[in-house]
Amino acid sequence: MIEPAAGIHPQSTATAAMAPTKLQVRDLQFYYGGFQALKGISMDIPEKKVTAIIGPSGCGKSTLLRIFNRIYAIYPKLEARGEIVLDGENILDPGYSMNRLRSKVGMVFQKPVPFPMTIFENVAYGIRHHEKLSRADMEIRVEQALRSAALWDEVKDKLKQNALGLSGGQQQRLCIARAIALRPEVLLLDEPTSALDPIATGRIEQLVEELKNEYTIVIVTHNMQQAARCSDLTAFMYLGELIEFDQTEKIFTKPSKKQTEDYITGRFG
Amino acid sequence: MSNTLYLRRRVANVAALGMSMFATLIGLAFLAWILWETLRQGISAINWNLFTKISVYREEGGLANAMVGSLIINFIGIAIATPIGVLAGAWLAEYANRTKLGESIRFLNDILLSAPSIVLGLFVYTIVVLPTTVLSDHTTSFTGLAGGIALALIALPVIVRTTDEMLRLVPSTLREAALSLGVPQWKLTTQILMRAARSGIVTGVLLALARISGETAPLLFTAFGNNFMTLNPLEKMPSLPQAIYEYTKDPDPAINAIAWAGAFVITMFVLILSLLSRLILSRNKVSHD
Repeated sequence: MIEPAAGIHPQSTATAAMAPTKLQVRDLQFYYGGFQALKGISMDIPEKKVTAIIGPSGCGKSTLLRIFNRIYAIYPKLEARGEIVLDGENILDPGYSMNRLRSKVGMVFQKPVPFPMTIFENVAYGIRHHEKLSRADMEIRVEQALRSAALWDEVKDKLKQNALGLSGGQQQRLCIARAIALRPEVLLLDEPTSALDPIATGRIEQLVEELKNEYTIVIVTHNMQQAARCSDLTAFMYLGELIEFDQTEKIFTKPSKKQTEDYITGRFG
Repeated sequence: MSNTLYLRRRVANVAALGMSMFATLIGLAFLAWILWETLRQGISAINWNLFTKISVYREEGGLANAMVGSLIINFIGIAIATPIGVLAGAWLAEYANRTKLGESIRFLNDILLSAPSIVLGLFVYTIVVLPTTVLSDHTTSFTGLAGGIALALIALPVIVRTTDEMLRLVPSTLREAALSLGVPQWKLTTQILMRAARSGIVTGVLLALARISGETAPLLFTAFGNNFMTLNPLEKMPSLPQAIYEYTKDPDPAINAIAWAGAFVITMFVLILSLLSRLILSRNKVSHD
């Protein structure tokens, strides 16, 4: 076990969310070739809460998110140093099974990217890779996932149709269904509503609210109102550093750092 | 804005538009001329005998054996080139993209793409026809199979390139989405990316088929030609382009007319293939953004 280091890292002391820590980030550095994109990030992400990461473009918020499931590793010349402890194990350890990590940590991307197959297959595809299920069990699992993603009622009569025929908002909820079908513990959302209209955005935010009962959610967003609306904790990042990480209410009402205040009041960024 | 400046821009615009339309017209005029001439000369010589009777040199006055031979040789060529080309294209796009090895192979493939087809025919003559001659009691073993291999070498780079390009057009977010579910690279490539790029890849194969169905030079010393009907790819085999080539050289105008008819048939075949590939591409245009 890694000893909790809350006292040593001032940035993480504010994680007084009472919930147990799910992801423990310790002195995380990230490099794009020669460029250092993250500079010593430490934070404790609590279990079954929504943690929002905000900050101006290029501050490293997406980069941070993409380390949590090591999706960055598919590109050459990228390197992460430090520790991210998930359930007592460091996921940055080269020996940590990628398969296991990706079944525990799901991800939804900025643009909805359904696979070129039927709606049913989109959800079943990931499950099939990790588990052998009978036809009937698979149907139950797919239905559960689509219900959790608040999409079931809209698609239950057209499960055999191509997923590319859905609207953008429906496609994004399908992507959420696809991710939670694997029953992950952590759900990463990378600006999940930036390509959607306000109504579809509202539905996704509502969904995030419901999903936090079961999943630890980390959401990166450009939209400060969104962070204020649907997160329990908010992290503000700037130029690769974690400036402040606290209860969302505190960040948006009385932030302790000047930079945070400037950003949320719209003075820069 | 001053009137003179506005006028000058309008004149320049009209002049540029006029010149580019004229240039387009020149290109299209030649295409139309070729098609018209093929149609005019070919259609008058088209008759049922063309499709039922074999070579004029057997006094039957048809192209049936050449058409059958062409179909078999083209089929062999595509059957060899498609699996290799699609796999190689997938390797270039998904495994070797942005690597030195991948870039070098992509470059070599482009060279193969523009290699003179007669050189490829000579190559197959040297590595397939000559060695098998030794095996077959020293009778020169020109075969339809050798012709198919030569055509496969022409079709291969076309298929590699289109597969490579079509796969690289698939947005990387689709790759990330699949990999984030823990799906391994080979499943991602074969079950998701190839499906996303399917219509483009099929189009590549059809265009390769269109490209090889008019090739004559690589067949001269591989399939060699044959005045009889044969279905056996291990014998000398006739082909439509080669029959056209031979009939054109003949002094008899009646035989020349049959060559025109053959040219018409081949042109229609290629035209239909091109239209078909256009249709497939436009039907399955799937937008990811």
